[in-house]
Amino acid sequence: MQPRDTLTENIPPHFSDRSLPLDEPRPFPLARRAAAVVAAWLVPGAGHLILGRSGRALLFFVTIVGAFVLGLRLNGHLYWPTVADPQSFFHYDLITVLWSFAEIGSGLCYIVSNALGLGTGPIPQAAASPTFEYGNTFMFLAGLLNYLVIFDAFDISAGRKR
Amino acid sequence: MHVLMMSLYAAMAAVVLATVDPKSDTTRQRVLHGFKIFGSFLGIGLLLSWILFPIPW
Repeated sequence: MQPRDTLTENIPPHFSDRSLPLDEPRPFPLARRAAAVVAAWLVPGAGHLILGRSGRALLFFVTIVGAFVLGLRLNGHLYWPTVADPQSFFHYDLITVLWSFAEIGSGLCYIVSNALGLGTGPIPQAAASPTFEYGNTFMFLAGLLNYLVIFDAFDISAGRKR
Repeated sequence: MHVLMMSLYAAMAAVVLATVDPKSDTTRQRVLHGFKIFGSFLGIGLLLSWILFPIPW
């Protein structure tokens, strides 16, 4: 049997017996991953805050909540799926389903605004405002960007990116 | 008004899209990527408006 020194002295310096180098991203525990994803949906940026990415968290919060509030200020509407009239193959009016999906992505922004009755007035009155479409577009943007942020938080928590 | 809204939209989208970009490893790469996205939004928006302007409907 060879002495240990003769076995290890020829190992190249880049060799490591660790499965992951220290600077590689590592997965977070399952509970923290789940908390990050749920928090990321509820409050834009909160998922990144839980994962220790406070700079990105602040950037996402300011951008997404800013887009949503700007949308509300521009008389955007909070959508919820409505039943198609006249009846169609798909029970609901498909465009309102898509718009609702986009807006629900902004989490508590949508829920709190709905509870406070902001952006929930009748559509014909809201649509009379010249900035109605601008407002809707910013609110869709806020929700859809937050879906991306949720996926980003999931990737970081799963150790797929930094 | 429309150009201002388009610029705000492009800026907000560019900030988030550049930050979540998995191919950018450094802050400098993210900032450059963000400017590219912002410029693309504005450039394509202006180009489309220029092409569609003569169409009467």
